[in-house]
Amino acid sequence: MKLVTAVVKPHKWEDVRVALEAVGVTGMTVSEVNGYGRQKGHTEVYRGAEYDIALVPKVRIEIVVDDRDADTVVGAIVSSAQTSKIGDGKVWVVPVDSVVRVRTGERDDAAV
Amino acid sequence: MKLVTAVIKPHKWEDVREALETFGVTGMTVSEVSGYGRQKGHTEVYRGAEYDIALVPKIRIEIVVDDGDAEDVVGIVVKTAQTGRIGDGKVWVSPVETVVRVRTGDRDAAAL
Repeated sequence: MKLVTAVVKPHKWEDVRVALEAVGVTGMTVSEVNGYGRQKGHTEVYRGAEYDIALVPKVRIEIVVDDRDADTVVGAIVSSAQTSKIGDGKVWVVPVDSVVRVRTGERDDAAV
Repeated sequence: MKLVTAVIKPHKWEDVREALETFGVTGMTVSEVSGYGRQKGHTEVYRGAEYDIALVPKIRIEIVVDDGDAEDVVGIVVKTAQTGRIGDGKVWVSPVETVVRVRTGDRDAAAL
């Protein structure tokens, strides 16, 4: 199995979820994170004072999938999260040795 | 590529970010997490009542890097996050099979 992790723009998360459901992804873990990439954050003016926004809010999505589904899932995320403006985020794939469904103790493919 | 994940003391995060930037790390994902290790949390007294603080606040940092940079990045995080006191955190490295930059669809080394 593979763990697909995506860090995307928060307002794109609904689109990503819909695209993932369309390719058959039945579950995922979502968290609110912050981050920065090449854009190095930016400067914002709030009530007349200038703030250096080094960390931009993002949504992190984690999905464990079958080996053969990883490419499809990555593709669905990239096409649905893309705005073509800087800060669209990243997607990466990490191998997973084993997965267990806590309720039943089922392992690996049966637990995905 | 490698995924470097670090869980460190929150007040050390600025030092770690600066050190990583100096080294040339151009982006990372940061999240607020809680955890405990060998110290198993601790007991705190608040307004006369004793509380068992099992989960200590931490900052989690995730960085995807070139294979050749992983050791350096781990070394920098360890050196800058170290206070020598219990609860300094942990750093681990996982193999990454694919990385995609969402904006452009660039893959692997070009996406870092």
